[in-house]
Amino acid sequence: MTQAHAHMGPHEPAISDQEYQARLDRLARHPALHEQFTRIRPGEFSGMQHLLLGVGAVGLALTVVGGFVYDIRHALAAYEIGVLAATAMALGALFFVMVFHMTNAGWSTTLRRQYENLAAMLPICMAMVGVALVIEIVSGGVLLRWIGMDPHSDHLLEHKSGYLNTTFLIIRFAVYAGIWTFLSLRLRGWSIEQDTSGDRWLSRRCRFNSGWGLLAFALSTAFFAFDFLMGMDFRFYSTMWGVYYFASSAFGSLAMLAVVFSFLKMRGKLGELVESEHLHDHGKLMFCFTVFWAYIAFGQYFLIWYGNIPEETAYYVFRRSGGWAILGQVLIAVHFFVPFFLLISRVPKRNPKVLGALAFILIAAHVLDMVWIIKPAVDAGGELAPMSWWVDVAAVLGVFSVLGFFLLRAAASAALVPMKDPRLEYALEHVNYV
Amino acid sequence: MEGVTDMSDAQMKPGTWARDIAMAIGTYVPGFARPPARFVSERGKPVHGIVGEFATPAAVYHAAEKVRDAGFRRWDVYSPFPIHGMEEAMGIRRTFLPFLVAAIGFSGAGLGLLFQYWVSANAYPLVVQGKPYGAWEPFVPIMFEMGVLPSAFAALFGMLMLNGLPRFHHPLLANERFLSVSDDTFFLCIEAEDAGFDADRIKDLLEEAGARSIELVEDDA
Amino acid sequence: MMKKSPDQISAERLAGQVSATAAMHGDGTLIEDPAIYAPLVLNDRTFKDVSDTVCGYTEQPAPLWWYAAITVSSATALLAAVMIPYLIITGVGVWGLNNQVDWAWDITNFVFWIGIGHAGTLISAILCLLKQKWRTAVNRSAEAMTIFAVICAGIFPGIHVGRVWFAWMLFPIPNSNAIWPNFRSPLLWDVFAVSTYATVSLLFWYMGMIPDLATLRDRALRRLATGRKMPCVFMLPTGHAVELKFVNIDKIRAFVYGLLSIGWRFSSRHWHRYEAAYLILAGISTPLVLSVHSIVSFDFATSVLPGWHTTIFPPYFVAGAIFGGFAMVLLLLIPLRAVLPNFSDLLTLRHLENMAKILLVTGMMVGFAYGMEFFIAWYGGNEYEWSVFINNRANPAKAPYWWAYWTMITCNVISPQLFWFRALRQNPWVIWFVSLAVTVGMWFERFVIIVTSLHRAWLPGEWHMFWPTWVDIGTFAGSCGIFLTLFLLFAKFLPMFAMAELKAVMPAADPHDDSVHHSGHGPAHAATGGPGGDAHPGHGGGH
Repeated sequence: MTQAHAHMGPHEPAISDQEYQARLDRLARHPALHEQFTRIRPGEFSGMQHLLLGVGAVGLALTVVGGFVYDIRHALAAYEIGVLAATAMALGALFFVMVFHMTNAGWSTTLRRQYENLAAMLPICMAMVGVALVIEIVSGGVLLRWIGMDPHSDHLLEHKSGYLNTTFLIIRFAVYAGIWTFLSLRLRGWSIEQDTSGDRWLSRRCRFNSGWGLLAFALSTAFFAFDFLMGMDFRFYSTMWGVYYFASSAFGSLAMLAVVFSFLKMRGKLGELVESEHLHDHGKLMFCFTVFWAYIAFGQYFLIWYGNIPEETAYYVFRRSGGWAILGQVLIAVHFFVPFFLLISRVPKRNPKVLGALAFILIAAHVLDMVWIIKPAVDAGGELAPMSWWVDVAAVLGVFSVLGFFLLRAAASAALVPMKDPRLEYALEHVNYV
Repeated sequence: MEGVTDMSDAQMKPGTWARDIAMAIGTYVPGFARPPARFVSERGKPVHGIVGEFATPAAVYHAAEKVRDAGFRRWDVYSPFPIHGMEEAMGIRRTFLPFLVAAIGFSGAGLGLLFQYWVSANAYPLVVQGKPYGAWEPFVPIMFEMGVLPSAFAALFGMLMLNGLPRFHHPLLANERFLSVSDDTFFLCIEAEDAGFDADRIKDLLEEAGARSIELVEDDA
Repeated sequence: MMKKSPDQISAERLAGQVSATAAMHGDGTLIEDPAIYAPLVLNDRTFKDVSDTVCGYTEQPAPLWWYAAITVSSATALLAAVMIPYLIITGVGVWGLNNQVDWAWDITNFVFWIGIGHAGTLISAILCLLKQKWRTAVNRSAEAMTIFAVICAGIFPGIHVGRVWFAWMLFPIPNSNAIWPNFRSPLLWDVFAVSTYATVSLLFWYMGMIPDLATLRDRALRRLATGRKMPCVFMLPTGHAVELKFVNIDKIRAFVYGLLSIGWRFSSRHWHRYEAAYLILAGISTPLVLSVHSIVSFDFATSVLPGWHTTIFPPYFVAGAIFGGFAMVLLLLIPLRAVLPNFSDLLTLRHLENMAKILLVTGMMVGFAYGMEFFIAWYGGNEYEWSVFINNRANPAKAPYWWAYWTMITCNVISPQLFWFRALRQNPWVIWFVSLAVTVGMWFERFVIIVTSLHRAWLPGEWHMFWPTWVDIGTFAGSCGIFLTLFLLFAKFLPMFAMAELKAVMPAADPHDDSVHHSGHGPAHAATGGPGGDAHPGHGGGH
């Protein structure tokens, strides 16, 4: 402990620029980085994109129709199921991008661009949430019923009115959207900038911004979840709620990305840049967050069930009655047991097709999670019209198709991997030995 | 190799189940002798095998690939730490240990759940906090622990069992030179129990693979 | 497959750089250039150097400071040996407990120690699953700490029940009136969780040590075979060494380490199953770590007591446990790094910086939970909950335990913020003092949760303060003594580093590189030559 502690400057190179450039040049000739694997040609997936855009437009249009056929609350709930599930996925991707930077992760370098693309859907998701928010405010509270209520009509609402008021909600929403847009676009932007400039210090800039970014992410995600999900019943509260939404978002993002990798691999992209070894580790993360979600979901439910305090327990009492109870059991099955038993084995994690197929189950589970949170809140008065589920299907499909369209567009707009990332070579050699 | 006498015609055929079982009983059960050795050294001792010594992981790794390709079955590489990729170089199949652990772990968790249910709902039903007797929620923590505990035992003791440990005496451990395996030396041993054991051929093979010394290991037991 | 590994080159290069630039750049591992990864073992160490260094700690006579330290720590441990029988004979009334505060230091100490016990398994298991190679520098001592901390933790629930001779009623068997234990009680889950955790941690620790114990065995056997007799030396308090000439210490070592290493012979077929078993143990220990402290948190959170009933408790307790555990690892290892020879080659400044970052992250998680609790205490609109936070804890004008609450906040949330600054998180002194603060803060966290929630019930007539008695203090001090004594014994008699794992992450361990000129000699490179190392740049590794 007695040695001198003069510190290396943060930008002091360990290898010279020439040497580093020589390395990059060598890397550029690597056959795995051929354009055929790392680029989507213009118009290559245009059929797919048109299809997604078409389905998106039809789905969202049907949602609007549903709003007139049934009521606005039903349609908005359907829309928010899709939007909040999609936002969760993009948030999860942003989280992983920042964690990869923070830990100087090597193995995930060839995967990271797709995480960045999904994270970059946050501005679009925020626009979609913004639409919902405008509808809420204009209609005087649809799902966030407190918006239209007189604070003096309810003791609890009066107590909370310092937080639950429209102005503050708009400010908070702007802050969340600002933080997430900045982080997701800048982290992706620097990464893409590095593709051409080869500036290794951009990696360090990403890491620096991921540091405060993770802190901002934790707080903003938690309060976003409070505002848009927990706030649907202003009486309800749970300190775990933010963590719960985070667990869902990590789970959802990994499932969506597994589909993306599977899709790209099947279309002949990525080649040996993303091999079974990388998918194996991606699959391990999926398994990990399956268990983590179950842990958080059980922890929250369990403590509320045990304590049985009216404000809290009402949330679950309602979701454990009638058809919602069945849905809850299905949720436990598809969100935990099915992925748990399928992902525990190493075989499905290493096969892109199997992993992709499995990921669809996980995406369905993730959407179902949002359904189970949001729909019973709408149904509180038993006003759910029979056979109205088509609105929900249309809305979710619509939102996800729009998301898919933009995701494909983002993927096509840059290389599929960070071409000159300092750790790219490490990822190329990544192997799970045990 | 000079001094190795082949006795195998007179003995149980190498590489058969019968010989393997007899060998295992002779090794692990007190009071039983192992089947007579196939090969005997100059001093009249049973031959355990021929050991080649290597200086680096790379050297022993490539030697292992050669020995694998030469078709040997009863042989092993000894290294101070697990060498990554050695399974492939040696052609070792994945162990079934994970399945053993999973079977035991899930059984443990299941039994834990049943036991708690039986106690709480049948043997001694007790109203606690107005919860239903058979509610599954409170059983989750102990169910989990009852899955983990047997799994951990299965992982450690299953591993040891499959490895044939504990085994306090082994011909290699009686060889002073071999003991440096725990520091920084790498060994490859082809055992006399291999059906294709041929001292001269093995010596040539190990020499060609770059062993820095080759030695006959006797079984002193 | 024949290419030179990226880890290799960066480590070689840096290892070469170290001596030249050491004065300027710490130990050379604090490199920020994203193009490379810092080396894990410094000063061009060979495999043999690693064995010599690590085994040296147990084989060489213990230094004088070790005798001094163990004298003090075992004397402190004796306090517990006096206090515990006194408590059992007299009754729990000798503690400062009263009708209102019926859990205080006992459960505080229990949760404190069990929390400390989480870092070991975390480092071993979670960091193993995350392939963080730097964990090899600290995992063994952290695992040892786990075991000792769990032993200390186990004392308190064991003795706080009062009539300890009824402790068998905790077991899942019917008592003499055919009454079964209550499986809906968190306290019973605790029994299962803590005993499972202790057992699994012990198995994990032991399994990791098998190859290293075999190394100690082999070294003793080789000395016996070559007739090199090591002296068996004891140190007197006066500083004089006494040699027991008639004892051949290596015979004892060969026997004891031989027995413990159960005939491990470093076979690759064994290594294969060993690594599989290790990974499985890591895989099941990870949820186990989470479950244990979650279950400890259930002791509080399943109740409806304001200040205890809150849903974030399980992950919050887990984060706190990791936080406190890492602080304890740093608290013990930073001094050892300074006094033991060559320790700093294996535990580099980068390792310390990494752990400082984990302290920062987990400290922020804990801070996040404090904040959430406070926010929801207000948002929930439950006036009792809010009252606990303001009138029992935070407001100095109203809360008699305000100092405990603010000590907790200062130590756990504010002090780790220093680690946002590079210069501070790279300075072992700063890390050590922050770790000390965190250890204190985490003890206070449990004290705050337990005592401040309990000491005022709904009726002011039930309000009581808790003050510790000399027995409370003595028992806690004694448990610290037990912990330190066990740790010092471990440092003397067992391998302090996972040698086999350390060697496996060294650049020379890569079998796909043929250019490593290891200290070995002879025709080592007859095997197929790869294209050689110059084709690859330096990066890779585990940071």
